[in-house]
Amino acid sequence: MDDREVIIKAEGIHKAFGENQILNGVDLEIYKGETFVIMGGSGCGKSTFLRHLTGALTPDKGRVSLLGKDLALLKEAEKEDVLKKIGMCFQSSALFDSMTVAGNISLPLREHTKLEGNVIDIVVKMKLELVGLRGFENLMPSQLSGGMKKRVGLARAIVMDPQVIFYDEPTAGLDPIVGGVIDKLILDLSKKLSITSVVVTHDMNSVFRIADRVAMLYKGRVVEVGTANQIKNTENELVRQFITGQPDGPISFMQTGDDYLESLTK
Amino acid sequence: MQVVVSEKDGIFICRVEGEIDINTAVQLKKAFDKLIREKRDKIVISMEKVSYIDSSGLATLVELLKNFRKYGARMKLAGLTAKVKSLFEITKLEKLFDILEKEEEAIKAF
Ligand SMILES: Nc1ncnc2c1ncn2[C@@H]1O[C@H](COP(=O)(O)OP(=O)(O)OP(=O)(O)O)[C@@H](O)[C@H]1O
Ligand SMILES: [Mg+2]
Repeated sequence: MDDREVIIKAEGIHKAFGENQILNGVDLEIYKGETFVIMGGSGCGKSTFLRHLTGALTPDKGRVSLLGKDLALLKEAEKEDVLKKIGMCFQSSALFDSMTVAGNISLPLREHTKLEGNVIDIVVKMKLELVGLRGFENLMPSQLSGGMKKRVGLARAIVMDPQVIFYDEPTAGLDPIVGGVIDKLILDLSKKLSITSVVVTHDMNSVFRIADRVAMLYKGRVVEVGTANQIKNTENELVRQFITGQPDGPISFMQTGDDYLESLTK
Repeated sequence: MQVVVSEKDGIFICRVEGEIDINTAVQLKKAFDKLIREKRDKIVISMEKVSYIDSSGLATLVELLKNFRKYGARMKLAGLTAKVKSLFEITKLEKLFDILEKEEEAIKAF
């Protein structure tokens, strides 16, 4: 495995929002062409970490290198060049309500390239076909279901043929079949187009369908990273509890102690 | 990326070299403007030396095909490398185009 090319590298990422220390030294290496899943409990900082990898947030301490470039050292224009080579699928689909499906998908092309309208229209058709939404160009986001919106968001993420796609909870809130469809899309894009995929999810079915490797984030750090099989058979209690969904274990969900009663009567 | 055009017995052979991507696709289209204006009707696009083509490049070829078809011209692709060919397949475009193994075959096929 050592000879594989590292395409994303996070070193000692720290981030606090006010008093709240969210990331506490996250280290990760992601290889070119792999599908890498980041899992962890709600609110543990997965989206926050992803936003560091895409340059949307700057770490308080630590470094991110993306496609071989240290994001902190890049000038604005250079950073833009790197960011053009990545695609982002947001947790909420983040479509513009005032634009049609085609308008949303083509936005990056209209903003960043000199391609003529006819060619852009054809690219949009090709991407819609890939996500299984042929003929949906002229609908407005309000006319789409949640799953369709996710797929439009995916079409937009791949419109510039990125080398890396980041997905934040791509299957959350979808029925199992649509979730499966999205997973298959993620896999198709990775395997057929050799795209590197970084996926944040806590949908366990999805994790083991798509992941080459998995990392688990807990209390601001990576507690385990390994192949999907290693994770499935892990001895780490934290990870075990998480993938089996046991309410009791080292991860406490229920807060214990007397402060509840105190807080009621205070 | 560059395109060199030559003519033989009314057949226009356009040899493309380099990467066809979001930055060069516009140039690719421009290189064919003259042929379209002059309504040339036998076109071979020779792609032996194309190392990579992205979606915008593929879309540009589709747009060229549409332009040629408008006045009844025929356009053939030749010499696709395995990698480029697989990109046509993934996007299901290989059936849209008349694709031949070698440039000479494409010329003979008119
Ligand atoms: N811009 C911000 N300002 C202040 N606090 C923030 C900000 N963004 C995130 N947080 C806090 O950071 C913590 C982690 O949030 P984040 O969205 O990264 O979690 P997550 O792991 O993605 O959760 P979920 O699984 O629910 O999506 C939360 O406590 C959140 O309130
Ligand atoms: Mg999140």
